[in-house]
Amino acid sequence: MTVTMSSESSPVNLQTPPATPPATEPRAAQGLFKRNPPIAGEAEAIEAAKAGDPEAFSKLYALHKRRVYTLCLRMLGNVSEAEDMTQEAFLHLFRKIGSFRGESAFSTWLHRLTVNLVLMQLRKKGLQLVSLEETINPSEDDAPKRDFGSRDPHLTGSVDRVTLERAVASLPPGYRMVFVLHDVEGYEHNEIATMLECSTGNSKSQLHKARLKLRELLRESGQSLQPAVLKEAVR
Amino acid sequence: MKNSQQLESTMSCAEFQEQLPELFASGNGGVPSDPNLQAHLDTCENCSALVRDLQYIADQARMLLEPAQDEPSDDVWSNIQNKLKSEQAEGGFPSSPPLPS
Ligand SMILES: [Zn+2]
Repeated sequence: MTVTMSSESSPVNLQTPPATPPATEPRAAQGLFKRNPPIAGEAEAIEAAKAGDPEAFSKLYALHKRRVYTLCLRMLGNVSEAEDMTQEAFLHLFRKIGSFRGESAFSTWLHRLTVNLVLMQLRKKGLQLVSLEETINPSEDDAPKRDFGSRDPHLTGSVDRVTLERAVASLPPGYRMVFVLHDVEGYEHNEIATMLECSTGNSKSQLHKARLKLRELLRESGQSLQPAVLKEAVR
Repeated sequence: MKNSQQLESTMSCAEFQEQLPELFASGNGGVPSDPNLQAHLDTCENCSALVRDLQYIADQARMLLEPAQDEPSDDVWSNIQNKLKSEQAEGGFPSSPPLPS
């Protein structure tokens, strides 16, 4: 008797949308999703803040505090440092808001400012963000050595937000930085290379290693997870 | 001159995986334009599973852009307000590091 397997499609079918669509923002072209649509009332608040209106500062803070704080928390991995940097970022913002010309989205500008502050802070602490040596002499340990057979579960459909967030948090800092900047925040490799003072090749390689490491972490945590199909059925 | 008869065996998994950082960075969703890479991807289950998983991870990362419910404590805002007030009282903001334009 022959059993026809229809569940596995061609292995090269890589451009199908992910099983779980992004929660909120529409899928824009790659690299564009960080350029956020303007928020209602934001433009007015920016103008009023430029004129020194304290209410407007308060509004801008309320609109952006979560994004800024989340970004700091991911990059720093520590609540108290993340709060300190959030404070610094908004202080810088309010001191410098007069120089915001609206050429980029306000949130893009604010995020870049935040990333720069966090990176400055990390450098002060002497953290080497990108290990050059490792990239020049890639160690075999980084390669996925084990041959994953077809019986192993695929990740697709099995990773929820909490699981992914936890896995990202356990990445080594240098990997986490590049992953957050590229895959979460949407920066291009050349932008990351400038921010981290490394080569674009270095940025690409760090990102790849970060994803490999995440795959490993997610596979480990996935051992106890039900396959997504079962979860769907139970619901 | 065609040299495609041996495509399937010309590349090892290690060689294929060496190309992955560039492949993903090319912004084509992990789809190689190089026929050698495509041939390996078509015939190697391990590498195609790897590429699929890595692409999936990259896609799922966007879920994280929208912030979680975490937010900074109220102290952060009161500290900001206090600093702004004292700086304004001293007559303007002090100079600070240059910002991105
Ligand atoms: Zn292979």
